[in-house]
Amino acid sequence: MDRRKFIKNSTLASSLFFVPSFVKAFETVASSKLGFKRLVIIQLSGGNDGLNTVVPFRDDLYHNARPTIALGKDDVLKLNDDIGLHSSLGPLKRLYDQGYLSIINNVGYPNPNRSHFRATDIWQTASGSEEYKQSGWIGRFLDNYGEHPYNAIEIDDSLSLALKGEEYNGIATKNPEALFKTANDPYFRGVLNHYNDEHLSEHNLGYLYKSMIAAESSAKYIYETTKTISSTQEYPNNQFGAQLKTMAKFINSGIDTKVFYSSLGSFDTHANQKGTHSRLLEIYAESIEAFVKDLKQQNTFKDTLILTFSEFGRRVKQNAGHGTDHGSANNVFIVGENLKRQGLYNDMASLSNLDANGDIKFEIDFRSIYATVLNKWLMVDDTKILNKNFMNLKFI
Amino acid sequence: MNQKHILHLYWRAGFGITPKQIEQLIGKTKTQVVDTLFRQSSKTTPLVIDLIELESFSVDRLKKSKSTRIDFNKISREKILEFNGAWMQRLTNTNELLREKMTLFWANHFVVKEDNAVFVQQYNNVLRQHALGNFGDFVKAISKEPAMIKYLNTKQNRKQSPNENFARELMELFTLGTGHYTEQDIKQSAKAFTGYNHDFEGDFNLRQRQHDTGFKYFFGKAGKYDGDDIIDIILEQKQCAKFICEKVYKYFVNDRVNSVHIEQMVNQFYPNYNIEKLMRFVFSSDWFYAEEHIGSKIKSPVELIVGINNTVPFKLKNERDSLKIQRVLGQVLLSPPNVAGWKGGRSWIDSNTIMIRLRLASVLLNNAFISSKEDGDFVDAYKQRLLKRNKNKLPFQTDAKWSVFESNFSKTKVNNLKEYIIQQPLNNGTLSYLNNLNKSSKQDVCIQLMSLPEYQMC
Repeated sequence: MDRRKFIKNSTLASSLFFVPSFVKAFETVASSKLGFKRLVIIQLSGGNDGLNTVVPFRDDLYHNARPTIALGKDDVLKLNDDIGLHSSLGPLKRLYDQGYLSIINNVGYPNPNRSHFRATDIWQTASGSEEYKQSGWIGRFLDNYGEHPYNAIEIDDSLSLALKGEEYNGIATKNPEALFKTANDPYFRGVLNHYNDEHLSEHNLGYLYKSMIAAESSAKYIYETTKTISSTQEYPNNQFGAQLKTMAKFINSGIDTKVFYSSLGSFDTHANQKGTHSRLLEIYAESIEAFVKDLKQQNTFKDTLILTFSEFGRRVKQNAGHGTDHGSANNVFIVGENLKRQGLYNDMASLSNLDANGDIKFEIDFRSIYATVLNKWLMVDDTKILNKNFMNLKFI
Repeated sequence: MNQKHILHLYWRAGFGITPKQIEQLIGKTKTQVVDTLFRQSSKTTPLVIDLIELESFSVDRLKKSKSTRIDFNKISREKILEFNGAWMQRLTNTNELLREKMTLFWANHFVVKEDNAVFVQQYNNVLRQHALGNFGDFVKAISKEPAMIKYLNTKQNRKQSPNENFARELMELFTLGTGHYTEQDIKQSAKAFTGYNHDFEGDFNLRQRQHDTGFKYFFGKAGKYDGDDIIDIILEQKQCAKFICEKVYKYFVNDRVNSVHIEQMVNQFYPNYNIEKLMRFVFSSDWFYAEEHIGSKIKSPVELIVGINNTVPFKLKNERDSLKIQRVLGQVLLSPPNVAGWKGGRSWIDSNTIMIRLRLASVLLNNAFISSKEDGDFVDAYKQRLLKRNKNKLPFQTDAKWSVFESNFSKTKVNNLKEYIIQQPLNNGTLSYLNNLNKSSKQDVCIQLMSLPEYQMC
């Protein structure tokens, strides 16, 4: 029996289990089981147009499919003779030049779903397209290996499915001070100072009290651990930049968090895509570069891996509105210091061999990336979290 | 029936009840009270908003022009938000209480997400119409609704290339549950639903040329079945009745299922599938009122919001803020996470939602202030300071009608408030804390009670 299961069972077995010590029990063993490496996940919501992000700028098929939105050799930052990054990705190109970026092409899964909601669920729960999982993959990481909600933090106001487990959940906060103040209301303090252990043995009510205690202690921990950290690093003046700044502050405080989650939206470029897409990529790349610099200054970059994904790529052929519709396979970015495979991890898919919808066919299952990260980076048993074996890749 | 049991019944069959309403029921027999509940829900009042703007579009125009389609979609999205507001309104103010609660239940059973407001409204009213009717008729009606035909791709289900999405979910989520059918059953039954389509107005039509009229082999039978025949064959399986009874039990009684109770329910439900009869049986049974069930359920966000409104009516100054609240609590009506719907129970709760939920009543009704003034404490400076500070920081502005509360609770002593607001006996520790707090204001005590973890339960 593993330790967590043991603790769970003993909670059930003994109604004498007193809760401050229950929280303490977790605190004293914090980090014992988890390594010191941390994972940052960035979701580009709405379906990023991967083909105009990592661009096969010499491919005639590409230009034919996208007469008004294709990028030519002068619009890209060349990675080699055939492939270039969108010109807004200058900061990302610099990371690439330092060997900090690995681009995995053609990532997807069988029978791709093209609905935002469903595709997001699939990526966040690590399910196949025909199964409905109600817990997220990071949530299940917490179920198996977590000790506190703050082991996984989403920099947002509410928690994504990705961070919700069967039993345990991560915590979402954009503003640790506000969270702390809410939890620290004198009335709630009074309630928490007066509960009896009877509260905790009751089926659902016990769960509510435990959640309240966990929220209170997490809010306090996050606020107190991070409040004194300051940084001189400048970030772009936008929401995403601010989120990554908060995230860097957390990381540099030494907070015991293994997974951070954040997202950048509005990638659903059905019409007049060029300007919007260019602006979004710029926000993304500039913020990521600032983030990496901030971490490097504090010597925390070496233990941080940044994974960027989008719920789907977009249709190869542009539509009549100078935009693109929902597609399937897409690229995934891995940013980190000691990558085993730098630059392009694999070749881009051929545009002459598309699926029935005219979308790029997937080559690498996204769950292989998750499995690799879980297994080789977070050093945990990926099959416990993914409930299935997926081939490990070689980027780390 | 005593006060406690009336409260329990009304929390499960509705969203709570005020002392004034309880006065009308106290002393009546259980049969009388349950009868009243059903009688009040015997009619169906469709929920209708003004959709004239959408109805003025024609199919031809939409087909021809992309900009017309964009206009249509934009208006439609707005109308769906409006319908969300109308539905919340309906839940807080209805004569057909049980029917509305059942509608909410079925909306999370026959889950769809649709972007055409005309179809959304029509679907919602089909749920309402069948909420207490015959389950078989219900499933058949649902299978022919445009919202469902679109959501589970029956529209793409053609004789030459069947799409199995609807057939699979019909069995997995709507009728039998996983493991009670084979992949072969899915393939065969999908054929029976080929050719399903609808017109622009929302009427069902069968595209004969796309419909597979051949033999289907389903659950050991063979025949030239159509969709309705398949549903009839599914209903013959006792497992279907069991699956529905378990879901009803988890929602209305307790999330931990008692197999003896389920068996009794199945005996009522099978083979006629009369939903009203089933619900009447549940609410009339002795076990429904057992101590272990009272206050054992975690309220859904909608139950929480509507419940607060029942005790202290409030109005949001900006109606759209209702969506904001639904979103942070994790349940936006008409926008379920996926075809399986909201999981409910403990999944409503995480470290964020618990704090938001505990804070909700004070924010909606009392400028985010929860009095923690102790008995004998005369200085109210803290309260004044906090109220002032909070006022500008509130996420939304509300107008709370405390006068309605005062009138509904006029005969309730401040010490007895908890028996109306909290469904289960309070634990000694909490009780001693509350007892030490100043009780000069009924309003303050009401907020204190609504800010307890116990208030999250019904």
